[in-house]
Amino acid sequence: MVRMIRKEGGVNIVNHWVLAVSCILLTVTGYGFLFKVEGIGYLCGGFPAMRIIHNWVGVVFLVSLFLSLFMYLKESLTFDADDIGWIKVAGGYLSHKAQVPPMGKINTGQKFYYIGLVVFGFGISVSGFLIWIFPENTQWLTLSHLIHNICFIFFVIMVPVHIYLGTLANPGTLRIMISGRIPYTWAKKKYPKWIAEVEGHGDKM
Amino acid sequence: MALTKMGLLISPEACIGCRGCQAACKSWNILPAEKTVNLGSYENPKDLMPHLYNKIHFVEAPSDKDPVRWLFISQRCMHCEDAGCMKICPSPGALYRTREGAVGIDKDKCIGCKLCAAGCPFNIPRYDEKGKISKCHFCFDRIAHNMTPACAKTCPTEAIKYGPRDELIAFAKKKGYEKVYGQSDLGGLGALYAFKDAPKVYGMNEKPEIPETIVFWHNVLKPLSYIGVGGVVAASLLHYFAIGPHKDKDEEVR
Repeated sequence: MVRMIRKEGGVNIVNHWVLAVSCILLTVTGYGFLFKVEGIGYLCGGFPAMRIIHNWVGVVFLVSLFLSLFMYLKESLTFDADDIGWIKVAGGYLSHKAQVPPMGKINTGQKFYYIGLVVFGFGISVSGFLIWIFPENTQWLTLSHLIHNICFIFFVIMVPVHIYLGTLANPGTLRIMISGRIPYTWAKKKYPKWIAEVEGHGDKM
Repeated sequence: MALTKMGLLISPEACIGCRGCQAACKSWNILPAEKTVNLGSYENPKDLMPHLYNKIHFVEAPSDKDPVRWLFISQRCMHCEDAGCMKICPSPGALYRTREGAVGIDKDKCIGCKLCAAGCPFNIPRYDEKGKISKCHFCFDRIAHNMTPACAKTCPTEAIKYGPRDELIAFAKKKGYEKVYGQSDLGGLGALYAFKDAPKVYGMNEKPEIPETIVFWHNVLKPLSYIGVGGVVAASLLHYFAIGPHKDKDEEVR
């Protein structure tokens, strides 16, 4: 038996997939609106129905994003010298010879991704709710529409990167968001500072 | 196949302010009356409403030479060639181009998001009790059968004149109007105005334009949303094959 360690708890995993599924549904229906894709509209039962789906899935997305703040925000805003080292070698993604500094539970790239997710996620949510609930004020509507679409660009670019890095680029990583458990030796190599912390406290085995 | 682009030529100087067009529009489109209040002007209601597609705007422009000068201007959807409402509308077919060049509406397809109001340079779209767009649709049901729109049909002085757009422009030029409002604005308006004075005297925007943010969204953000995805997917594939994934040789991955 390979010795395993739990990296993500059940609540985090469920919340991750709620956020992921709502995000993908919103992206697909969002593309449907952006390019007037009739096929996506038909799948939803017409564009008026697609609007209702888009809006209410947006509520799910916002709640899930809000919950995630308690899971990742603190660590994502904590930077040290190793994070600068990580940026210098681009996380080791450009060359396998690069020496990546020791990382904590989440690495520098993940921290930036999460900060972007929070900024653009709340941006797209708040602007979306303004479009939904207060369309009478045309100036606010125009501004919200612009912000909503700028934030959309972040999602359509960064979410595929996140999916790639979490699956193909780092085989084995997907387990963290399925069972939540990874081999201890692997964790020690990838997240040495986290393991040191865990060992120091002598818990979370 | 597009037919000849049709238009309306509106001549405020010929208008006698009878508002027959307002009534005829309501009559043809079976629109209920609005409860109005006396605001000290014959202009009534004060603004376009969900059940008022066409309204005569009253402007008093007295001068020393002409102490009693009243101008009557028909306000309605301009049926822009480059229509901001159609650009921003997220629902296919809710706003559509008729064969005569008008901007038609299909309430069944309208999702009631009200974005068209943000895209309109003339503040035209209004929303009915179901939150769906309502505006002048150029009597698409009449003109498709070679009938004159209700407003133009009823106008006793040809202040609203219906016809092929090119002919209307030529007609206005022959009558001595050098510049026809809407001839080239926004790709050419379906509603043309023969103004003797500057457009602002008639309460019209000197240079109507689709809001810049919407043009930016249409020209930059929309293409970026699929170029971005394509670029990222291509970059990921390139990375996967050129540099390759992280593999741990000496560690047990599974």
